[in-house]
Amino acid sequence: MTSIKDKILQRFLAADGEPISGQQLADELLVSRTAIWKHMQALQQDGYTFEVVKKKGYKLLAKSNKLDEMQIAAHLTTARYGHKIHHYDEVDSTQILAHEFIRNGAADGTVIIAEKQTAGRGRMQRPWDSAEGHGVWMTTIIRPNVLPHQAPQFTLVTAVALVHAISDVCQNFKPSIKWPNDILINGKKCAGILTEMVAEADRIQALLVGTGINVNQQQEDFPEELHSIATSMAIEEGQKIDRAVFVAKFLGHLEHFNDIYVKEGFAPIKTLWEAASGTIGKHVRATTLREVIEGQAIGITEAGVLEIRTANGEIKSVYSADIEVK
Amino acid sequence: MFKIQEIREIIKLVDASSIDEFVYEENGAKVKLKKKGNVTEVVVPKKEVVAPAPAPIAPVVEAAPTPVATPAASAPVEKAPVNENTDLHKITSPMVGTFYQAPNPDSPAYVKVGDKVGEETIVCIVEAMKLFNEIEAEVKGEIVEILVKDGQLVEYGQPLFLVKAE
Repeated sequence: MTSIKDKILQRFLAADGEPISGQQLADELLVSRTAIWKHMQALQQDGYTFEVVKKKGYKLLAKSNKLDEMQIAAHLTTARYGHKIHHYDEVDSTQILAHEFIRNGAADGTVIIAEKQTAGRGRMQRPWDSAEGHGVWMTTIIRPNVLPHQAPQFTLVTAVALVHAISDVCQNFKPSIKWPNDILINGKKCAGILTEMVAEADRIQALLVGTGINVNQQQEDFPEELHSIATSMAIEEGQKIDRAVFVAKFLGHLEHFNDIYVKEGFAPIKTLWEAASGTIGKHVRATTLREVIEGQAIGITEAGVLEIRTANGEIKSVYSADIEVK
Repeated sequence: MFKIQEIREIIKLVDASSIDEFVYEENGAKVKLKKKGNVTEVVVPKKEVVAPAPAPIAPVVEAAPTPVATPAASAPVEKAPVNENTDLHKITSPMVGTFYQAPNPDSPAYVKVGDKVGEETIVCIVEAMKLFNEIEAEVKGEIVEILVKDGQLVEYGQPLFLVKAE
């Protein structure tokens, strides 16, 4: 159920800057003008700015800078993904929250999004810098009807979806994928993906697709030690990106490519992944818990596994590692 | 509950296959088959079937006897476990990937030999391509043996732990 407040916001977003009168809103939504006024106050609390236009009503001047449900919904083209969005100002980690939502039966495509994470995590629980307002820190809960051993490929599918979404809103560069799914722009990291699976032996309950995407940070927003290795879409594009449009595009591609993987298998995704890969053909160093493998990345298998040819001609399959592209 | 024909069908399929043990659970009813040499034992625990719990997940394996055939056919060779005691429960890997005993290299292991576990106790992580899978014990008991090493690549279906079930 959409609340009255959300319905009012929907009308203003659709009006595209044209004024709407309080009376008109009250008539359409079957509530009193006082109620409309109260909801408008609440919207201003949320960060929306309105101007009163004489005899015409209210005009939406500026959208809230928050990535709230209504703003994303205005651009969504999906059948399922993003139809339920939980937005928070601050959380420890959207992944931790997502586990709770899964236990409570959250639907396929449910999104948890936060302006700020106090305990964002990457691989091996390494901290992920997720400062306020500039990035997209979100978890998408998906419930695919495949067996658990087919789940790892979804992490490559997510990378393909991200690359397509970034290319939709940025024209000045081409993002690339570092195996398995880091997104780089000009060699610097712009997005990381971490996926968790909740499963029994023979079925997936849910996958928690966690994406940390640097969107509107400027160089000075990153801590000094990250300057040489991290970047944002805005830095590389040379202008601010509308985060709501970007998230809607991402969810569109993610739903589309996930459905393709479930229906047709990994082959079509593999082709798209390879087209965006910045790893294949390069000299790489893969660091695992037990060894360091160095050599040429010759490709990925039908399961998405990285294959490296070492100096002595041996081909090693890599399932989990930190990859350094030389 | 299971129909007698369904159980008969499952026994036939398991009997004809090379698998030693088969467990199938649905809405609180459980069929457990174990082979001892040529003898096939059937255990149907008389678990009270409560009102069917709301299953929030798309039922993947509801179409009765077929799922039996698939996992059996694709089940990889069970590497002969060190401990052949069939009374012990094996926790197996649901996918190919790297076995991690701890959430990160600086943390203590999730479990060690001698630890008591419950059904939902996390015993390890299996990771492949940055998909992290926290494996739950799915049985109540005591960890008797850890069959793989930290950081080792494990196969789909490979036994990871032996648990003495309570």
